[in-house]
Amino acid sequence: MTSKLPTLDPLLHQPARTQIVAFLSGRGEASFTDLKLALEVTDGNLGAHLGKLVEAGLVESHEACAGSRAQTVFSLTPAGRAALKQYVAHLSALMNIGTRKGAKVPALARLNPKS
Amino acid sequence: MADAYRELDSIHSMLALGHRSVRLERHSLLLIGAVGGFLSVGTDWVITKDRFPDQNEHALALLLWLTFWLAGVSLLDHWLTRRARQRRAETLPFAQAQITRAWWMLLSVGTLSSFAMFFYGGGEMIYALWIVLLGLGIYLFGLFSRPLVEWIGIATILLGVLALAAKLPFGATRWLNASCFAIGIPLAGWLAPRVDARSWITRIGVLLVWICAVVAPALLIVKSTPVVSPSGRVLSLGSSAIPGGEQTLRLEPGTRLPLQIDLDGAILTTQPQPALALTLMLPVDLALQDGQPEGRYRLGDGVWRAMHDGGPRLVIDAIKIHMDGSKPEIRVHARLSDRSLSAVRP
Repeated sequence: MTSKLPTLDPLLHQPARTQIVAFLSGRGEASFTDLKLALEVTDGNLGAHLGKLVEAGLVESHEACAGSRAQTVFSLTPAGRAALKQYVAHLSALMNIGTRKGAKVPALARLNPKS
Repeated sequence: MADAYRELDSIHSMLALGHRSVRLERHSLLLIGAVGGFLSVGTDWVITKDRFPDQNEHALALLLWLTFWLAGVSLLDHWLTRRARQRRAETLPFAQAQITRAWWMLLSVGTLSSFAMFFYGGGEMIYALWIVLLGLGIYLFGLFSRPLVEWIGIATILLGVLALAAKLPFGATRWLNASCFAIGIPLAGWLAPRVDARSWITRIGVLLVWICAVVAPALLIVKSTPVVSPSGRVLSLGSSAIPGGEQTLRLEPGTRLPLQIDLDGAILTTQPQPALALTLMLPVDLALQDGQPEGRYRLGDGVWRAMHDGGPRLVIDAIKIHMDGSKPEIRVHARLSDRSLSAVRP
């Protein structure tokens, strides 16, 4: 018995980026500080991952007026929301294959995500 | 497999963190708690019948008083919250902005209900209503905040309902309301982050601690400030001359008391003023000051109570027009009730 393995989105298959997208999906929008507090990562790390997500069109940013200074606010794009949904579906499918009797499930580590 | 599980779990945690991202600032907890507690205790002493003898003026004064304080504290809190978030370069979650609006609506409902009860009755349950509204507000915040806050919201609603069901004296509901605001809100804010990741049993324990911390002070205050029984002689109705100073007038069961009816309105008037002959079914003690009732009373062997603390209420159940032969007749059924009656043995 063989099973066709779903392909995981390499961009999202990175813990910090998955967490950013999931957090934005739940919260709606968040500032850099909000994300940093939620994910407990360094500025440089967060900036790099956010940059990749913005570049791929999964996350968008806009300047919000916050008193005397402007604040950069990040939110998910429709493409980002769809990508997260698909990513979760693929993960669930992988788990279903894994729980089927006799199925051979390769370790997720072999998918070799690009980071 | 384990990786997929772990990753889904991580996504779920972050989604939940995003959904439950509402955080009340420390100043919000203190401001709302302090003003709510102050209004619960102080309103009845500031907006009194003596200052506003006319019912319409009394109602309007209460409306303005509550609006001034609640609108003021809401605007101040909103401004302080936005400023604090800007300083920390954080955003106000969309859910928090919406819940804040819902919270303002609940405060408006409470204020308008307090106003409307002057005209439509039900004033004795006003503090229980405020407790329920506060519970609803806390529950709403809890839905998008920490689970313990949600539980505390439900507990607050139940406290309000139980206060009514247990026929708690009016004064006790006032102190319970003050305690829910002044102690309950800041304590909920302090406890919630400390038990967030703990087990259900710990949370239940903390919830019980919260309930005790809110209920105990209210009950202690009520117990420690009883209505003092009047000093002086106990007089009976037959006493020839009532001396000056403080006395107790004892009315025995079977005493006939006239009830003067002063009906006012555009449809009917009570001229000449009729008097209904009522017969006492319980012994009643009235405190007199220089020969006049001064507000304290006791039913049977019960405790002394004050009229201003939720005295007897005349509740009109039904008004019907009946034809007595060819003449129409208005039939009214009313009950004179008192919350302390359940504790009195006739």
